[in-house]
Amino acid sequence: MTKERTQVADVDRSLYDFTKSEEGYERYADGLTPDIVRAISAKKDEPQWMLDLRLKALDEYHRRPMATNWGPSIAGLDLDHISTYVSPKTKQASSWDDVPADIKDTFERLGIPEAERESLAGVGAQYDSEIVYHNMREEVAKQGVVYTTIEDALHDPTWEPVVHEYFGTLIPMTDHKFAALHYAVWSGGSFVYVPAGVSLDYPLQSYFRLNAQGAGQFEHTLIIVEPGANLHFIEGCSAPKYYEANLHAGAVELFVKDGARLRYSTIENWSKNMYNLNTKRATVGADAKMEWVSGSFGSHVSYLYPTTILAGDRSSCEFTGITFSGATQDLDTGCKVILNGRDTTASVSTKSISKDGGINTFRSSVVVGRHADNARCTVSCQSLMLDNISRSDTIPAMDVRNPTASVGHEATIGRISDDTILYLMSRGCSEQEARTLVVNGFANPVSKDLPMEYAVEMNNLIKLEMEGAIG
Amino acid sequence: MADENATVVLDRVNEPPAQTWNRLRANDITLTVPKISRKGDVYFALPQLFSHIECGMGEKVTSWVTSQAADARYVEVPAHTVREEPIVVAVDTDKGEVADTGVMVRAGATVSIVVAAGGTNAAATTSASLLRVIAEEGATVTITEVVGIGSSQQHLESVGVDADDDARVEVRQYALGGGTVAFGTAVSLSGDRARANVGLRYFADGKDHLDVNHVVRQRGKNTIAHVRENGILDDAAEKALRATIDLVHGARGSKGDEAESVLVFGDDVVNKTVPVILCDEDDVQGNHGATIGTVGPEQMDYLADRGLSRKDAEALFVRALFEDAIINAPEAHAHDVAVRQAERVLGAEVAHDFDASVQLAEDEEA
Repeated sequence: MTKERTQVADVDRSLYDFTKSEEGYERYADGLTPDIVRAISAKKDEPQWMLDLRLKALDEYHRRPMATNWGPSIAGLDLDHISTYVSPKTKQASSWDDVPADIKDTFERLGIPEAERESLAGVGAQYDSEIVYHNMREEVAKQGVVYTTIEDALHDPTWEPVVHEYFGTLIPMTDHKFAALHYAVWSGGSFVYVPAGVSLDYPLQSYFRLNAQGAGQFEHTLIIVEPGANLHFIEGCSAPKYYEANLHAGAVELFVKDGARLRYSTIENWSKNMYNLNTKRATVGADAKMEWVSGSFGSHVSYLYPTTILAGDRSSCEFTGITFSGATQDLDTGCKVILNGRDTTASVSTKSISKDGGINTFRSSVVVGRHADNARCTVSCQSLMLDNISRSDTIPAMDVRNPTASVGHEATIGRISDDTILYLMSRGCSEQEARTLVVNGFANPVSKDLPMEYAVEMNNLIKLEMEGAIG
Repeated sequence: MADENATVVLDRVNEPPAQTWNRLRANDITLTVPKISRKGDVYFALPQLFSHIECGMGEKVTSWVTSQAADARYVEVPAHTVREEPIVVAVDTDKGEVADTGVMVRAGATVSIVVAAGGTNAAATTSASLLRVIAEEGATVTITEVVGIGSSQQHLESVGVDADDDARVEVRQYALGGGTVAFGTAVSLSGDRARANVGLRYFADGKDHLDVNHVVRQRGKNTIAHVRENGILDDAAEKALRATIDLVHGARGSKGDEAESVLVFGDDVVNKTVPVILCDEDDVQGNHGATIGTVGPEQMDYLADRGLSRKDAEALFVRALFEDAIINAPEAHAHDVAVRQAERVLGAEVAHDFDASVQLAEDEEA
């Protein structure tokens, strides 16, 4: 008797896989030259210090080699065939009615205006290199919250000094080669300032859509949460699939001051031609808390390790992440935690699923500094292999320099065990129900931490279609 | 100051199969060793078969040892025999001895191999042992390594084992302190149902530097590997441990696990751990865990109720480790190394108490 194999479907990207014409767009030449960097700066009418920073970063990019002894190959990425600036011919709008029809249609298909109406305190929407829509609820603005673009903040005498003070300080341009590239050509992104003691009832959300073929997106997100304040920030990103390489090298700098709390949720669903070389970092003050919720589903290659520096005493962080790697994908993801304050705590929990030849690598580092008395950190990493042509590696590192610290790490890799399936079947489940239960249970700790609409999106992304009987 | 012309730098030593961020400085160790001094000599080599064996410290150390060793010793254990006396590799670290040993354990044979490396710290030397073992079908191999050297000395301890179907490999390592000690162990479970237990117990204090690379590659079907490391770090000791379970494509039904437990006593200790699982097969199980900490408050309360201070409690853990090394040292050279290091760390009286109790137990057994 022929029996069908049990299958878990690949990520369904049909929702994201549509393109819009670039006709009439402003597109800079491919490659990376000082002239291009100057042109981007001039286009944005930036202060001199920002242009100087960009040019210095360009030198750093050319000077700095890529490490050759770890990480997925980025041999297919050729900066000579990447345009670092593509802009639709439109101005930033604060009403969706003022956004060009094709771009508005794009974001409507992604559900952004609807989400804004229902559950968000503000939205920023970036299309290729520029923010095309930005809006925030009036009552939030009245609390003194600032949610704008970095470009606009640079043109505001009140906020330009603040940007100058913080920009590029948490992620230095010397951090790695693509951090340097980011600073040379950054464009778009968000500037968020939450005054002391202000707590936002609804999240802010930025959505990044890269429509242009053979282009890069280099948005910079700078968030300052003052003492005692509370913010949930959501970041979404997607792109249609091309056969040419695209590049995403954004940067996210998060300053969480004493007693503040920041939750940063991301669902990343770049297309499979994308090199996602993103850098995210948070510094956390005394008694403050940083929470990361991260879903990585797309891209051809990812290097993504959100970093938390627990600088203040009694500061804490939680990292919850899930990665799904299918055919042609090599996703190197994880996180870094640096515990420097006293009585700091960190908790890391990640899941990964590999299928159809996809490669998942969980990479982490936990560094406990010399003065981090009573630091506590736990790392848990679980990987599920759904076939025997995929691959899953875990490469955690721990560096502990305080004798009072307690650090624990555990990791498991394997497939859904036959025993588990048989146990559930003996209780009346069909095989497909049993497998669905196990995989849903595996992903559930992450989806329950996401806002509802993102949890639904994640479940759609990992669309599990179980068929057949035991083979 | 060392004569630069008389030394050579070996970089990327103890490099694991998969690496991480270089800025953590945990991917490898760089060692300065005496320069190859026998240029023009004919090196005594092991049979060609041994050149295919992956060794834990890497190719550069293998090349250096084979060119530096005074001799290459080949031992064959005939099929279906039990070798009663262990094969002993004794390395006098005071003399900077370098040993190159190859052991062929034929099908169904059983053997114990002991590497004992130690000295009295008479001179700042570099010593080394390279041990390569081929375990044929159904062979049983027990390797015991006891290393305790002087604070100004450096020792390289590299092991490579290839295990065929149903072979059993047991590796017991004791790193009992000293200047710079590098352990590299690679076990390839090439045959179906092959098994490996790799266990390391370590102690490092003062400014000791311990660097460890454990690699178990599970290639055959239904192989089983257990890797356990536990140790104590005091004062300003530095330790880097890389432990890799590599579940190679085709190793269906295999299970591998690795766990490390570290007690940190010293304020200036640097403790780095990189426990890695590489998985290229779905029908396998891989697990690893690491616990890094000190004697916990609850444990301390329990011990304090019994009149023990923190220092007393810490000393108990150290004593237990050395006692274990002395008890499990299977022959005289290894025993001497363990007792000598126990004397250095715990004092002569305690060390001799251990020794006496071991003797008593042996007498009673006899």
